[in-house]
Amino acid sequence: MNITNTVRPSRRTFLGTMASAGTALGAGLLCPKTAYANSEDGEGQHAPCALLNPIPGGLAPFKPFAIFIHHNPLSPAVALADIKDPSQITDFDGFVGLTHIRGGGTGIDTNTGTTTPLAFQADMGFSQGKFIGADGRRHHGTFAFV
Amino acid sequence: MYTGPAGSANLTEQIHDYNVHIDSNDVFWMVRVPHEAVRVDFDDARASLRVQGVPVFDDHDLANSLTFGLGLPGDLGFPYPAIAPTAPVRATVSFDVEWNGAVATAQIHNDAQQFKGFFLSTGATINWSAEQPGFRFQSETPDPTRNLVSVLGHEQNGVFFG
Repeated sequence: MNITNTVRPSRRTFLGTMASAGTALGAGLLCPKTAYANSEDGEGQHAPCALLNPIPGGLAPFKPFAIFIHHNPLSPAVALADIKDPSQITDFDGFVGLTHIRGGGTGIDTNTGTTTPLAFQADMGFSQGKFIGADGRRHHGTFAFV
Repeated sequence: MYTGPAGSANLTEQIHDYNVHIDSNDVFWMVRVPHEAVRVDFDDARASLRVQGVPVFDDHDLANSLTFGLGLPGDLGFPYPAIAPTAPVRATVSFDVEWNGAVATAQIHNDAQQFKGFFLSTGATINWSAEQPGFRFQSETPDPTRNLVSVLGHEQNGVFFG
């Protein structure tokens, strides 16, 4: 498999390449639940296939080996006025929150009870508001960035 | 999660990477949560995100998450370490994130990225835990000094940018 000529492989093209090469690991585990949201057009009825649309921008960590991700991580070195769009979804009007926190905690081997001090980095956030889904309709929703 | 000292985040020391995976429309790590999970008091520069038992995947490390378990070769002239391939396992996470108090504010109108809004740089804390077969993690007591940068915003992008 050769993906070095793919400048911005999306998840779909990347998975297609992997699947054709027969090398994808845990393919059955790759997709999260479909995004649900309340439809304004449906007066509050659930629209179970209201997929979100990703922001057009982002970055490619580990290029050329990994996918392009539609996400702009926060950096302490960037002034607030110069940040890139902190939302992961486009066609969106609402509140967003994003964090970049590092700290520590305790890992526990639940088989033996052994504890280990560990470090963590939490890049987490939320989006809450209205958006145009991939179905072209207007929806309201609350989403966590996990 | 990393084996290094608290506050560190070196890829070669990463042993857990929890996320909900990219969805079928290429949206990055977003999952619907109940409306009540998020509370925003934007005028007071406060918000919270509280969720219990969110089903996630543990991809072991960021490199495996973004290569769908293929890892990194580490020997082809690119500035990345070798990371062994690892398949994801199921886990759950619970978290309580709080944004608290404006440090800076900015009105942004970004034509190139088609987004605008009013943004706050804020303090933030997190209390979170993870659980999976054979392993559990509990973060330290929420510590405001651990925040590197956090942002709240009221924004419009895409078709709402105009």
